[in-house]
Amino acid sequence: MAAASMNSPWPPLRRLGLSACAVILFTLPLWSPSDYITGIATLAIFFAVASTGLNVVYGYAGLLSFAQVGFWGLGAYVSALLVTDHGFSPWTAIGCAGAVCVFTSLAGGLAALRVSRDAFVVITLSFSLLLQLLARSWTSLTRGAMGIPGLPSPQVRLGDAILLDGNTASGFYWIALGCGALVVAATWWLLRSRVGRAFVAVNLDENLARSQGISVFLHQLSAFALSALIGGLAGALYVFKLGIVDPGIFDIYYAQMMLIIVIVGGAGHFWFVLLMSFVFTALPELLRLAPELRMILFGLVLIITIQFMPQGLGGYLADRRNRMLRRTE
Amino acid sequence: MLVSTLILNGLVMGAIYALIGVGLSLIFGVLEIVNFAHGQIYTLGALALALLVGHFGFGFLPAAFVSALGVAAFGYILYVLFLQHIRKGEFERGIILTLGIGIVVQNALIYFYGATPQIVDTEFSFRDINFLGLRVEMIKAIAVGFAIVSITALHLVLTRTRFGMAIRALSQNREAALVVGMRPEVVAGHAVVIGTALAGLAGAVLAPVFTVHPLMGAPILFKAFAIVIIGGLGHLPGAVVASLIIGVSESLAGGLGSASLQDAAVFLVMIAMLQFRPMGLFGKGVRI
Repeated sequence: MAAASMNSPWPPLRRLGLSACAVILFTLPLWSPSDYITGIATLAIFFAVASTGLNVVYGYAGLLSFAQVGFWGLGAYVSALLVTDHGFSPWTAIGCAGAVCVFTSLAGGLAALRVSRDAFVVITLSFSLLLQLLARSWTSLTRGAMGIPGLPSPQVRLGDAILLDGNTASGFYWIALGCGALVVAATWWLLRSRVGRAFVAVNLDENLARSQGISVFLHQLSAFALSALIGGLAGALYVFKLGIVDPGIFDIYYAQMMLIIVIVGGAGHFWFVLLMSFVFTALPELLRLAPELRMILFGLVLIITIQFMPQGLGGYLADRRNRMLRRTE
Repeated sequence: MLVSTLILNGLVMGAIYALIGVGLSLIFGVLEIVNFAHGQIYTLGALALALLVGHFGFGFLPAAFVSALGVAAFGYILYVLFLQHIRKGEFERGIILTLGIGIVVQNALIYFYGATPQIVDTEFSFRDINFLGLRVEMIKAIAVGFAIVSITALHLVLTRTRFGMAIRALSQNREAALVVGMRPEVVAGHAVVIGTALAGLAGAVLAPVFTVHPLMGAPILFKAFAIVIIGGLGHLPGAVVASLIIGVSESLAGGLGSASLQDAAVFLVMIAMLQFRPMGLFGKGVRI
């Protein structure tokens, strides 16, 4: 599944493409015609990070998880509550939110990974639904459906000077881009390390991996925890963009978006998933469809992809490249 | 008195959950696909009944029958177009495919039908019957009647007919079924038709009990998942027992506790089950 992104990491063309993308992304607020466009690009960064989390657990470790939206919302609530009720700074709160998500995923994963892969899907789904129910019903902690409004904007300071101000669209964009790039780069590095290759090995053949001394359970658990960390951090920063957190953060819409991005990009294909985050965030804005029509379109894209291109765009292109290489030999 | 009323109400709901859960479990047993579109199929049944009763003046019983048939036809189309192309060992593909189908069906229903909840008024609404001194809404009693009759009929079909035994054989041992000359694509089609017909019937008989709207399938789908997990994946009697357990615990939690506790009951039962029997009540204990 992940073979394509594993060999020859930086051919010249890809290096050029990535540098061009980096320049475009970094300078976007400078030439973006309006704050609206910058806002959409910011949202795309959040989807890119959260989907990368899903890609780690599904694309690399082969465990289809619906818990990603749960960790996204859990991170959001933890950071919002720490800032409003306990006076934490946004940055400390985001760090704590990540830690809470990792801890929760380890506790949950210990139970959920004992069952079959089918049951794992349903249990991760129930985890997200349970968190949404708690957010709605545990009103003394979460204020229920009213949500927690009035969240401050994060700032990046150097001494007394404010370098980036999250109150402005471009300031928040650069904050999101910086944090997102950091998380994505760290994930890329980890996936190319021994640990990441072990994730793939466990996915391809559990027994073969075991015979090589790779603990299947430990690697599945750590992939799950890594996805939880990524999703939690993304959600924790995302609430400061919204300025309010309510049970809508667990909306099935987010789960569907992450899944569509990973499936169409290609599970286990790192860069295509990042690319699709931008495509699927921009597409509905370009088409200006009613929400129902947008979801019908997304559903059809999902059906067509899984029917004719089950490995996604990344897998399809890698397949074609391999076939061409074989033909020329 | 109060507790017995709660238990009776719980059993009523459990019987209806069983219709949905058994269909889901049957499809899983034969195709190894966790059908994420099952909730939307249930919704289709309810909307079809609302349309037939509200606009075409059907009586409740023929409308329920026609709805179930229509939904089964829809299920068969889904099977021919999509589900039969999913091979064994591609269960993630099946989940994503059915999820996509569910997204399309649900949003198409919202787009064409509107998201406003409707009340379906049938000739049996707003009447009560007496059951062992307890009052039950007639419409719920009829729904339970449908559930009992169709699950019994399913049981007889699966155990007494060649047609049903083929379905069981395929879900128990696929290779052996192939060896004796069964055609899995035909048998799996039958299982999908039965499973979706049951879900459509459940939607139709529940339509007058609750309000009808395109989003009604999502919460009930999750309950059906929980039922299938608790009962053991692909185990039909397990699904029936689990449905009754969920129905009664929800009813007790709602009556003696609070509405939030009622919503949480299904999670609590599921967590407890996973602690003590991770493979479900009647699971075979194998890791797929």
